[in-house]
Amino acid sequence: MTTHEPDALAKTTRINLLFDFYEPLLTEKQRTFLKYYFHDDYSLGEIAAESGISRQAVYEHVKRAEQVLEGYEAKLNLLTKHEAMQRLAAGLERQVAELPIDHTFKQRLLDDIEQLTKTEITCVTEVTNHGGI
Amino acid sequence: MAVRIRLKRMGAHKAPFYRVVVSNSRSPRDGRFIEEIGTYNPVAQPAQVTIDEEKALKWLQTGAQASDTVRDLLSKAGVLKKFHELKQQK
Repeated sequence: MTTHEPDALAKTTRINLLFDFYEPLLTEKQRTFLKYYFHDDYSLGEIAAESGISRQAVYEHVKRAEQVLEGYEAKLNLLTKHEAMQRLAAGLERQVAELPIDHTFKQRLLDDIEQLTKTEITCVTEVTNHGGI
Repeated sequence: MAVRIRLKRMGAHKAPFYRVVVSNSRSPRDGRFIEEIGTYNPVAQPAQVTIDEEKALKWLQTGAQASDTVRDLLSKAGVLKKFHELKQQK
C-alpha cells in the first residue's frame, strides 16, 4: 500500500475515541467514511469500490473528516478531559481500596467515584448533543 | 476473492475494544467474518494484545492481506517476524 501510515494503530485508536465524543457534530457522509475506514478497517480501495467513487475522493473525505474531529478536540478538549478524569478516578479507586476502613464504607466511596466518572460522561453527551458549536 | 485480516471495532462508547478478524474483501459491513484470531484493548494501561499465533501464521501463509493497523499489531506481537523467517526457510 502506498499511503502506509507510520503508526496506523495509534491513529485508529485516537480517531475512534474522538469519534465517540464528536459524532453528533459530524455530517452523515463524514460519519459513514470514518466508520468504514476506522471502525471496520476497510482500505481506501475497498471503500472506493463499495461507494462507487475514486480512491482519491475517499482519501479526501476521510482526511477532511479527521481534520474536523481534531478541530473540535482543539477547541473543546473533551477527550483530554475525559482521559484526565479516568486517570484520576483510577488513582482514587486504588487509594480507597487500600484504606484500612470498614467494607461497607469503602464500597460506598468506590460507588461514588464511579458515579462521578459517569456524571462527567453524561454532561459531555449533553454538550455534544446541542450541536451548535 | 481476496481474504483480508482487519480490526473490527467492538466495545462500549468511549471504551473501544477491537477484534482481529479474517474476512472476505467484498463482504458487506454486516459484521460477518471467517475467523477471529485476536483482540486489542487500547484503553487498558498498557494496551492489551492477544494474537492466536498459529491461526495468524496460517492465514498469512495462505495469502491473506493484513490491513495497516493489523500489520502494526502483528509486528508488535512478533508474528510478522516469524512469518518472514518461515518464508525464508522455504
